[in-house]
Amino acid sequence: MSHERWTVTFIVSRRKGEQPPHFQSFQLEVDPDEYVLDGVERIWAFHDRSLVFRHACHHSTCGACGMLVNGVEKLTCITPIRSVTSNGGKVKVEPLRNFPVISDLSVDMSTFYTRMEETCAPQVVPVRGSALPYEKGLFEQADPAYERLADCIECGCCISACPVAVTTPEYQGPAVLAAAQQAFSLTGHAGLLEKMDGADGVWRCHSGFECTAVCPSNVDPAWRIMDLRRKVIGRRIKRLFGLAK
Amino acid sequence: MENQPSPKKFLYWFDPRHRQPGTWAFILNRITALGLTFYLVLHLVVLSNLTKGAEGYDTFLEFARQPVVKFGELLVIAAGLIHGLNGLRVVLTTFGIGVTIQRQVFWMLMALAAIGTAAFAYVMFFVA
Amino acid sequence: MAASTPKAREGAWLWLVKIIAGVLILVVLGVHFVMNHMVAPGGLLTYADVVRYYQIPYVVAMEIIFLVTVVTHSFIGLRSILLDLNPSEPILKAATALLSVAGVAAVAYGAWLIFTIAGRG
Repeated sequence: MSHERWTVTFIVSRRKGEQPPHFQSFQLEVDPDEYVLDGVERIWAFHDRSLVFRHACHHSTCGACGMLVNGVEKLTCITPIRSVTSNGGKVKVEPLRNFPVISDLSVDMSTFYTRMEETCAPQVVPVRGSALPYEKGLFEQADPAYERLADCIECGCCISACPVAVTTPEYQGPAVLAAAQQAFSLTGHAGLLEKMDGADGVWRCHSGFECTAVCPSNVDPAWRIMDLRRKVIGRRIKRLFGLAK
Repeated sequence: MENQPSPKKFLYWFDPRHRQPGTWAFILNRITALGLTFYLVLHLVVLSNLTKGAEGYDTFLEFARQPVVKFGELLVIAAGLIHGLNGLRVVLTTFGIGVTIQRQVFWMLMALAAIGTAAFAYVMFFVA
Repeated sequence: MAASTPKAREGAWLWLVKIIAGVLILVVLGVHFVMNHMVAPGGLLTYADVVRYYQIPYVVAMEIIFLVTVVTHSFIGLRSILLDLNPSEPILKAATALLSVAGVAAVAYGAWLIFTIAGRG
């Protein structure tokens, strides 16, 4: 941490119940190497105890603190204030898009979690083969017995950033399609391909690659959606020639 | 406005703020798709002039030589280039080609579209 | 609580038809510009030019392919845009029927136009 001090204005989206949302400003003195979540917590601690937001681990593992920071999805616990504003500048904090707001910065992600669960994507995966294919050489030598947590922390940033998800509530969305891709790669369960071969599945994606840009955890959902498309097409062609059930 | 997805929010498709080149490509593709489809219908209707024989069609061609009409044609060519080349990026990435460099692919293809449009503009307004 | 089952509506085949039509359009346009430059270097500036141009069998074939692929690609594309709006089942059914009829009508009309002009040579 530096000893630099910045004065920054946090502009926070507030919303309680059915009231229309509005913005409230808080001027904070911060260390620019602190994280955006630190600022939000300080507002709660010293300015307004009614501010509602989600967080837990503070080290990008729980995926609870995804928010819109200056218009872009960020996992706020690993987003340094320095990276989003300057001294005397503004930090606009809003809830994630495409989820119903519960209160202030907290959104209801229950449908998203259910969809994630329905892909039956394993939470723990073998280390070997868990890297994306273009990350050449990574984990190739790992002991086959070693396992690690899957990359996706279910923060919902990708669903929030998707320009198509904004109009289609039933679109499964990047994280869910990425989970289906990973689950299929590990289990070969063809039902997943059937399920995602449709308008609410892989074909709704319009290659904006926003999901990959905002993903804080190297899931690369867009790459996985493209891969899932190939797997879906491959299966359709095989079925046409009677090579798959 | 409510925070959850809704078809009423379709104008957000076209909001380029804080977006990646991929979304700009999506926006361009959507606008050009609608424009080109409108042109397709217009084109089919206008070509019915051909059935009117030499006189009717040549009168129409005289009208088509106006600079405003030529500019409209140039817009169609630009839209076709943008949509076609962007479409190529969608096909390539779907089949696993250039997925990790899709941004660069986008800029390259759009540069091609710009060069193509400029070439057509030159020929249409200064040569033909 | 189970989330709603994703709707099929547009599957791999329909998507592939759209994409293959799209790629064919690019190929045909490319061939068209090169050939057109050789067949009619100055452009088709009069009615007589157009009729003469349509006497070439390759031109007729290409125009037909172009007509079918463009109409197919654009009408499946319009349906895709509609799907982005998560339409209700009756609206989607009506739109699909309308687009199918309009697509077939556009191809029939276009083909009639091409053969009418070609027949005047």
